Amino acid sequence: MAKWYDDSGFQSDIVLSTRVRLARNIKDIPFPRKMTDEAASAVVDMVEQSLSTMNMGFSRTDILSVSPLEREQLVEKRFISPNLARQKKPSAVFISGDESVSIMVNEEDHIRMQAIFAGFECQKAYEVISNVDSYMAKNLNYAVHQKYGYLTSCLTNVGTGIRISFMMHLPAICKAQVADSLFSAMGKLGVTVRGMYGEGSKASGYLFQISNQMTLGVNEKEITDRLNDVVNQLIAKERELRSALHKREGLSLEDKIMRSAGILKTSRLLSTKEMLTLFSNVRFGISLGLIDDIEPRVLNALMVETSPAHLAYGRDNPAERDAERARMVRTRIGG
Amino acid sequence: MLCTNCKSKEAVLHYKQIVNGKKSEQHLCAECANALGYTGNGESLFDIGSILNDFISMPSAHTVNKTVARCPICSTTYDEFKRTGLLGCDKCYDEFEAIVEASLAQIQPSTTHKGSLCGEAGEKIRKENELNELKENLKKAIIDERYEDAAVLRDRIKKMEEKENG
Repeated sequence: MAKWYDDSGFQSDIVLSTRVRLARNIKDIPFPRKMTDEAASAVVDMVEQSLSTMNMGFSRTDILSVSPLEREQLVEKRFISPNLARQKKPSAVFISGDESVSIMVNEEDHIRMQAIFAGFECQKAYEVISNVDSYMAKNLNYAVHQKYGYLTSCLTNVGTGIRISFMMHLPAICKAQVADSLFSAMGKLGVTVRGMYGEGSKASGYLFQISNQMTLGVNEKEITDRLNDVVNQLIAKERELRSALHKREGLSLEDKIMRSAGILKTSRLLSTKEMLTLFSNVRFGISLGLIDDIEPRVLNALMVETSPAHLAYGRDNPAERDAERARMVRTRIGG
Repeated sequence: MLCTNCKSKEAVLHYKQIVNGKKSEQHLCAECANALGYTGNGESLFDIGSILNDFISMPSAHTVNKTVARCPICSTTYDEFKRTGLLGCDKCYDEFEAIVEASLAQIQPSTTHKGSLCGEAGEKIRKENELNELKENLKKAIIDERYEDAAVLRDRIKKMEEKENG
């Protein structure tokens, strides 16, 4: 199985990736913010033990024993959250051999496990993580409540402990200025929208994270179905608006798209922000059939490989990083 | 709009509170808001706790039994939970039952878990919940005088209980 950040998957010109995360805690041990260092170490070992006979090739990384830069890289690959990177107590991440599953230990909850895939792959991601969950449950005594189900540190996760999120690319919805009204309607359906890089609808590169809000009183299937339904409608709307935009702007849009591809193939300095904007135009061009020599998979990989911490080795100033970013993009996209 | 406290300056902070179904509104100028403690000292107004507080109408502190205002296992206090929106351990759910239930009712579609439960503990709870539901249905069937349904439910309960006891 390919890594989420070096693959494309279903509906990949609009849905870049799908992640399903489950939050679990162990019975009778205080949650991470209240636990002692000894208990924290013990939980990491218990999780390792519970995974030892599972044949997914998990490898353990102790957060306190790796450098801040390595932690930042784990964040950029989305294996850990920024909160875990800052954790002062013994904590760890277990990453499967194919990098599709990562299990954070001692973040806000004892266990935060996630499966992440490229494209619109909700079913697959849920099945994979639910298998890991059942396997771990054989060896760990989860904190469960007769009425509330799985107990978590924050009430926004209790019950199923599930959070499904999609990274979506929605340029046409944003340009048609219907994003705000669409997103607020989605809010009423219990779906949260957040800008991936930046805030609100001003997200760089028109990338958004769409996720479920509710976790209790609805089962996993209802949550998945509701979210799939909303995402399918968003995809349909985005496609409709893309073709309307193409019809309306014609050559001027095509010119902008092709120039973006040109800059990516030839530039010598490239900031993250500019790269994300150009990538957005190129993705649009790929879905309109204007560009066929750049794969979405390559853009996804570059987004991770050129993020600041991945480029930081031996490069102290932003200009050097911008030069290296431009070089990597030219190499992968070809000129 | 003028500040409802000093009635001289323009109100900049609008504060709505719903306690036990009773609504109250405050419109305050910056000075009065600070003086009355509506803004923290340099604290962000947008931490999780305060966001939760905004849409969870927490029962006021006096409705919570003082003897359980601190969790005996992890020593999380009621105030701490109110401020951060976070519980300290699994026992907190029992210690702060009233406030947990009230908060969940505001932020979740219902307060009863409907999803899957894996592992041994989960299996036990699932069976207990199923049994309780059957018993509830049996009561309803008897009240509604649906005796044929009641007989079927009674047999299912009996079978489940026999299985449970070995």
